[in-house]
Amino acid sequence: MALEYKHKKVLIVDDFSSFRRLMVRMLESLGAKDIDDAYSGDNAISKMQGKAYDIVLCDYNLGNDKKDGQQILEEAKHRGLLRYASIFVMLTAENTMPMVMGAVEYQPDDYLIKPITKDMLTRRLEKIMQRKSDFQDIENAVRSKEYIRAITMCDERAKDNPKYMLEYLRMKSDLCITTGRYDEAVAVFEEVLSMREISWAKMGMGKVHFQKGEYVKAKDLFEAVLNDNKTYMEAYDWLAKALQELGALEDAQKVLLTATGISPKAILRHQAIGDISSKIGDYDAAAVAFKSAIAIGKHSCFKSPSYYTGLARTMIKKDSSDEALQVLNSARHEFKGNREALFQTASMEGIVYKGMDRKEDARKAIQEATRLLEKLSGKVPVEATMDLARVCFDLGEKEQGMQFIQNIVRNNHDNDNVLEMVQGVFKDAQLENEGAKIIAITKNEVIQLNNQGVRLIEEGKLKDAIEYFEKAADGLPENKIINANAAQALIMYMQKNGTNEKYTTLASKYLDRIKSIDPSYDKYQKLLNMYEKVAGAYKGRDE
Amino acid sequence: MDNTERIIDFPAFLASMAHDMKNSLSMLLNTLDEVVSTCTSEKCPSHRHLSQMQYEATRVNFNLIQLLTLYKMDHDQFSINISHYPISEIIEEIILQNKPLLDFKGIEIFTECPDDLTWFMDSNLISGVINNILNNAYRYASNKILIRANEKNGWLVLSIEDDGQGYPEEMLGTDVQKGRGVSFKTGSTGLGLFFTSMVARLHKNKGREGFISISNGGEYGGGCFTITLP
Repeated sequence: MALEYKHKKVLIVDDFSSFRRLMVRMLESLGAKDIDDAYSGDNAISKMQGKAYDIVLCDYNLGNDKKDGQQILEEAKHRGLLRYASIFVMLTAENTMPMVMGAVEYQPDDYLIKPITKDMLTRRLEKIMQRKSDFQDIENAVRSKEYIRAITMCDERAKDNPKYMLEYLRMKSDLCITTGRYDEAVAVFEEVLSMREISWAKMGMGKVHFQKGEYVKAKDLFEAVLNDNKTYMEAYDWLAKALQELGALEDAQKVLLTATGISPKAILRHQAIGDISSKIGDYDAAAVAFKSAIAIGKHSCFKSPSYYTGLARTMIKKDSSDEALQVLNSARHEFKGNREALFQTASMEGIVYKGMDRKEDARKAIQEATRLLEKLSGKVPVEATMDLARVCFDLGEKEQGMQFIQNIVRNNHDNDNVLEMVQGVFKDAQLENEGAKIIAITKNEVIQLNNQGVRLIEEGKLKDAIEYFEKAADGLPENKIINANAAQALIMYMQKNGTNEKYTTLASKYLDRIKSIDPSYDKYQKLLNMYEKVAGAYKGRDE
Repeated sequence: MDNTERIIDFPAFLASMAHDMKNSLSMLLNTLDEVVSTCTSEKCPSHRHLSQMQYEATRVNFNLIQLLTLYKMDHDQFSINISHYPISEIIEEIILQNKPLLDFKGIEIFTECPDDLTWFMDSNLISGVINNILNNAYRYASNKILIRANEKNGWLVLSIEDDGQGYPEEMLGTDVQKGRGVSFKTGSTGLGLFFTSMVARLHKNKGREGFISISNGGEYGGGCFTITLP
């Protein structure tokens, strides 16, 4: 596949100007006309925001304490600055380290080791183009959520094209996991592992065990991966998760600290260390971790208010409430205009003030949090809401606290873990009996709400059911059963009366919600199957 | 020595030095590349010298890669990255990298590799090994090199043969696997073999591990290097 460079928009990222000039000359000699260069990560991101590049050639190591190539890639993908057809190639001086550092979804299209010759560059770019076009229709199927069709395509390609068999099998296993088809995923991993001890297959197998709650098996596999491959960073994170589930918090903390020693810029890992360290009462380590997360997050799209609230919580434990307030104050500046962040900040302020016995300030903070919560649409952070409820109970604002709790229960009426946590809040507030009653009543309300809609479906009043569940799902965006039934009403209507764009879009929205809540929910796969058939028919495919 | 306190952590210092040198070397090689391409042999009297420079700089580059890789292996910072590759494509790419130099010296390079042969390996490491051997062959071959790859009893056998004088007698008898017996005085040939045997041994599958061997003779009667991978 010969590549035409004339109309390609190219970005070269390197901290050395002489190298940038050299690459520009090389690209020019290939016929490219539209070539930009950037000297740093921030510079690169701002250029990518202004122009949709076709080819990005990015150096991995951009200087100590600076954003590296992997971070640029992650940020660009996260912000949607790279289209599927765009090519991102990581350039490295010598090391193979970055190749195993990032998670799969944040892998570049290729790695090139310097010095880079013109012949090598063209050859690799052409191969990438070829691969992209080979995977294009699978990728399209995934984007229109025809996962089952995408899986079938992977099977066919793996058979037809044994040269790239492994890539198709890997793609298939990913698709199986995202759609909760764990047994099929295991079959793929077993097939691969029978050929070779490949780390990603072991890793995938471990993740499936984890999802199924088989934490010891999962732990053993993650350890095996790390035994082969000490820079397989994802394995540290999953090993820590498994250890946590097994109650070995100290070990989990140790594992994550080791990982941070190898790859110090992974922000989510710092947060995980902070959380675990708090749980085991190692507040010094927690403070260090949250501070690191805040510092790295300053210039990253992955910044989150939870690093600040985590640090504030740690400061309370260390008896420095004033410092906690300072941290929260800086969060307010950092997240101006972000309601969810401000909600979390205000909730935490309520907790700090209460601890300082400044009841009036605590009340004010809670009022602010309440106002913000009402305006929050979509995801309501369960833990922050629970914290807030706790403060309310402590301050004697029982009714307010109950409201928060009900909100949580409504969205999670089938999630025993959450309900147990809620019960814990009631217990601490010495409202155990009353709380149990509230939980039961609220749970029942949701069940009734759901049943009424199901009855509409059963009676064949699909139009009414659609309307009914749309309202219910908007009120309870985190409730998987309600969202599943909303999708089902839409799909059944389309099965009967033909497909239309409005309904397929809506159904796809509900399916996405279920996927993010619990991809292993068995009804989700059934719905996905049904959806694929109607959506496929809509596109005029004869399936 | 053991009880005296070191002023610097020498290996780490060496590694970061090597990294820095490699950056400069990349620039040097790239610039040379540009200069060479504007200066064809007929018109340009310096072409021969430039090619010599390219060759030497490439050697230094390979040596630095080996040095850094060995440093990382020694410090537990190295991870092998195994995937599945079409062997013919790997060989093609290596030839592409080495062709300008080999052409210049009038060495022709032949390959024998089934089109559908695929194997599990760390492609960077294996490319490094082949580049290394080709770089040596450049010095010793007269005018022919053969790269041969095929599958034998569940192993990938990859060999590079030339029509030169072959390996010196004293090297053939030694245990190349362990790098022992290779006199470091003989220069980069010994060091290179040490590195390649490390790479071979890193490739493991189901209780078997890769190995290298050297011999004289083969198709063209010269040196023959073989790396065998599970």
